[in-house]
Amino acid sequence: MRPAVDIAERDLESLDAIWSGGLGEAWEAYRDGHADGRVALAAALVETGLELQGLGAHTAPAGELLIGDLCLARASRLLADAGDRELQVAFATAVEKVAAQAAAGEPVSPVRELLRAALAK
Amino acid sequence: MITGRRLELATTRDTEFVDVTTHLQAEVERAGLCNGRLFVQSLHTTLGLLVNENEPLLLGDFEALLEKVAPNGSVYLHDDFARRAEVPEDEPANGHAHCRQIFLSPALTLLVEDGRLLLGRWQSVFAVELDGPRQRRLALQLDGDFAAGRPRPELVELELARQLAVDPMAVQLPMRRLVEAGGKRVRPLLVTLGSRLGSKPDPLRTGTLAAAVELIHAATLVHDDYVDESPTRRGQPTVAAEEGPERAIAVGDFYFAKATRVIAELGDGAVTSTIAEAMEAICRAQMDDVALRGSYPGDRASYLQVVRGKTAALMAAACVSGAQLAGAQPEVVDRLRRYGELLGTAFQMADDVVDYSEASGKPAGQDIRQRTLSLPLIYAHEDHEVGPQIRDLLHGELEDADVRRVAELVKVSGALERVGEEARRLVRAAVGELEGVELNGAGAGFVELAHAAVDRVS
Repeated sequence: MRPAVDIAERDLESLDAIWSGGLGEAWEAYRDGHADGRVALAAALVETGLELQGLGAHTAPAGELLIGDLCLARASRLLADAGDRELQVAFATAVEKVAAQAAAGEPVSPVRELLRAALAK
Repeated sequence: MITGRRLELATTRDTEFVDVTTHLQAEVERAGLCNGRLFVQSLHTTLGLLVNENEPLLLGDFEALLEKVAPNGSVYLHDDFARRAEVPEDEPANGHAHCRQIFLSPALTLLVEDGRLLLGRWQSVFAVELDGPRQRRLALQLDGDFAAGRPRPELVELELARQLAVDPMAVQLPMRRLVEAGGKRVRPLLVTLGSRLGSKPDPLRTGTLAAAVELIHAATLVHDDYVDESPTRRGQPTVAAEEGPERAIAVGDFYFAKATRVIAELGDGAVTSTIAEAMEAICRAQMDDVALRGSYPGDRASYLQVVRGKTAALMAAACVSGAQLAGAQPEVVDRLRRYGELLGTAFQMADDVVDYSEASGKPAGQDIRQRTLSLPLIYAHEDHEVGPQIRDLLHGELEDADVRRVAELVKVSGALERVGEEARRLVRAAVGELEGVELNGAGAGFVELAHAAVDRVS
């Protein structure tokens, strides 16, 4: 079930299928700790996108890679609309960190912890 | 300093005032001279130069004055060939023309500001023929600030190298291999050109943005190559083929994020939004592209929908973001957006055509093999003569021989020429979007880049 408030139709376009597959739950988790629903959605999209792409865990099939890319791009757009510069930088830095770890074959840091820390700043 | 330019003229009368102002302005734009000087020199002793008003009756007055000063038909010592040494056989009796020339200038220096010849409202530049009709040449030299008018690709390369050098090796090395393998750098050049149209261009910030936009493009290529299972790009193994898909995904993610961060750090909200919107459009279009492979080869409308997202969106965003960062006016930004969209669509069409050439850097017929939307194939598929054969071949599993046969049928159908012409029309429309915009000396760069996008073999 989509949230009735805070999130515009456009913000979930093409992503309906993953809302019930974990995106909605992640949004609730970030929403609890942050007042702005769109920023919370951006965090949930980053977390879900990286999970779909299997960073540090498995090789994502092409379809899931593309949905993951859309999640990350949508998150950037939401942060450009609703987040400030520091938050944009902090989220991007978190993705850089886990992507570099995954590329190096190292254990990947928990994304939710990184993003929550960014939101708490 | 630019030297060696020549302006060729063919005069048609004995005495003639040839207005060369627009030709000289075109030379300034072609050279990308933003601020400086244009030197013009006659290479003849009976061709002078003049700056004055182009009003026909006034030009008649000048001609009458020259006739009065040095009448044609009077006695001139220069015309007494018996008294001169080494007279060529075809020497004309033109003492009057030489005498008239001393009242004109053999050379001019014209100032250039903001890419325009600095001329008053009524001033035009004339080459004055005094002994025509003849073929004439003017020598041109241009000096001043060119960097402002034309992008400098070497600066983009330096900035890319600088940005990559600080990254962890696990992501830096694969990305450097891709970046150093080549690429046309169209998007960073568009950023740089766009920045010329603002009131406060900053080369350092523009360079940072330009490199970040190129990294976004490179990141999309890394992921696309995995999705399309492409073995090579730019003549080298793709990141996915060389490093494996897991690392390719991580490398793409890293550079998407890095570019996003670098752009956010520039602190311009409009630029951040422009790039974020473009990234989203690219991802949506990539999903559409894959989805449409079920109805391969598709139709023109579907093709355009995908191309606007996959290619045109980032080109338009490159133009727009460069201009926004430099504080360009909203109406200029809108024109640049349309220029970039048209150019991006034309660029992809040209890319589709290049896919049928050996010089593409990709395996021959790769678009066909991967069932990627391609306008030449769409047109050939709709052709009454070759269409049925293509449909039969595409219906089943594509062996190498089938791919070659489809490519041959596309070539004989005339689809490549049709797509090439369509791309050139779009380029003309793109250039037309900039008419009336104050281009600050960047006009030549926009025009050259647009034409280079479609007139290429790789």
